[in-house]
Amino acid sequence: MSDTYQAPDSLNRLQTAALGIGGIGVLASLAGMFLQPEQALRGWLLGFIFWAGIGFGGLGILLLQYVTGGAWGVVIRRVAEACSRTIPVLFVLFLPIIFGIYTLYDWANLALAGTDKAIEWRGWYMEPTWWIVRAILYFVILYLMAHFLNKWSLQQDKADTPEKAGELLGMATKVSGPGIVLYVMLVTFLSVDWMMTLEPHWFSTIWGFLFVAGWALSCFCFSVAVLAHLSTRSPLNEVIGKRHFHDIGKLMLALVMVWAYFNFSQYLIIWSGNLTEETPFYLVRSKGTWGAIGLTLIFFHFAFPFLILLMQDFKRRAKWLAALAIFILFMRLLDMFYIIGPSPMVGEVSKHLLEVPFRVSIWDVVAPIGIGGVWFWWFVRELKRRPIVPFNDPMFQNAIKHGKGH
Amino acid sequence: MKPPRIRLMKDNIYGLMAEFDSSTELVEAAEKVRDAGYTKTDAFSPFPIHEMDEALGIKRSILSYLVFGGGITGLLLGLGLQYYTHVIDYPIIVGGRPHFSLPAFVPPAYELTILLASFTAVLGMLFLNGLPRPYHPVFNVPRFNLASREKFFLLIESADPQFDYPETREFMESLEAQEVFIVDE
Repeated sequence: MSDTYQAPDSLNRLQTAALGIGGIGVLASLAGMFLQPEQALRGWLLGFIFWAGIGFGGLGILLLQYVTGGAWGVVIRRVAEACSRTIPVLFVLFLPIIFGIYTLYDWANLALAGTDKAIEWRGWYMEPTWWIVRAILYFVILYLMAHFLNKWSLQQDKADTPEKAGELLGMATKVSGPGIVLYVMLVTFLSVDWMMTLEPHWFSTIWGFLFVAGWALSCFCFSVAVLAHLSTRSPLNEVIGKRHFHDIGKLMLALVMVWAYFNFSQYLIIWSGNLTEETPFYLVRSKGTWGAIGLTLIFFHFAFPFLILLMQDFKRRAKWLAALAIFILFMRLLDMFYIIGPSPMVGEVSKHLLEVPFRVSIWDVVAPIGIGGVWFWWFVRELKRRPIVPFNDPMFQNAIKHGKGH
Repeated sequence: MKPPRIRLMKDNIYGLMAEFDSSTELVEAAEKVRDAGYTKTDAFSPFPIHEMDEALGIKRSILSYLVFGGGITGLLLGLGLQYYTHVIDYPIIVGGRPHFSLPAFVPPAYELTILLASFTAVLGMLFLNGLPRPYHPVFNVPRFNLASREKFFLLIESADPQFDYPETREFMESLEAQEVFIVDE
């Protein structure tokens, strides 16, 4: 058995390709911001929120697996850690949104003009300056959480006694409990700031949980794809077993259900309340092509993966599970597009539209690919910097044994 | 002249049971029993042994399919019940909504899905295990009580088509068991 558990070289080619594609995509998107500023920025937000979901979701999974324990947490930990270490690069990718705030968010213009009663009433909270300060604060706090969990994990690798390694695990576990509470609150606030304010007159109190669950699902799906790639190569083929994939598959099933549950809760309450200030969100999204996308999400973000993941044999095959995971990732992107696409563009908020024509631009494709490329390049860079498994973890041998079992 | 060999009839005994000291010995013996072609077998241990299903060649239970069927039944029952009461039997307008309001029908239909799926899981598990069962011949072996403490037991039922008293007994003794017991009917 290899002692260093270095990531395989097969990642290098992927990394180079990702940087090439990502670089071109990002440059094209940035150029697009001068040609078609609004469309390009909306595409950028779509790409950013999708990939940020995997990065932030990595931190969420890291916190979760420290609290719950379990073999799946040991094998997924280094992948989740590498995801959480992309927060700095996510901040850089967030900068166009800060600079484009007046082109992207109509509320920022309304706040400046002082013509909208609802936004004015929210006072300083809905001023662009404070929005930017909050955004920076979210990044700083999330970065610090990721930083300390990563630091202790690295120290554990270097620990010379089992007691020391156990102590570090205990510390991470203790911090992760309150950490989850903080994480959920931060994701609630930031998803409201970045996504819900696209519809400044509309509100939903379950919004944050939609993102907590959706992002955890995104990161699980991404991690399954990465682990499936690594599981056929040394050194991870000695560690990961069918049963690990089975366990992660079960968690994917749970999150697919939780996502549907939260989304339906939001829909049902708005549908049964039937209030004019809440219904436009779904009125717009249930007509024409938008309605078709909504149905697609019900059937292919929920029903299809749900039924497939009920099957035990499916979850135990890494390749099949990874194929489904990538399919779900595309649905995650479509879900984000379903939120951003029909939302009012600049000047449209005060019109209170109940019908929005279907609109999609080239940037809705280019930006997610570009941001994804750069993000993935950084992710692989971080993944390679450490051993691919926390081999000094007190539960490591148990976790291997668990995976080889039935 | 040889003394006549005493041959126990299949009807007289429930089966033969071998006692082992460890789970590894039990699993190894179970594999040999499976390879010898015995099918009506069972193993008893103080804790679950994950390798056992494969070692004894136990097929996967059909319970998961039953539970799925139970869930689908619950879903259809829930939707059907609401459709019948709200649309056919007693249609009244509530809150200005159509009689057939699918979003409002989802929570009860969902609850019935869970209810019938879990009932099927519990009752199906009991049924497939043949429970409740007030009498079981394995308890006729006095040492069998140790199966819940520190000993491991392997059983071949006399109902097995391959079962033959002296041969099977010799076979079981060759498995390096601590002891082989006759399980009375």
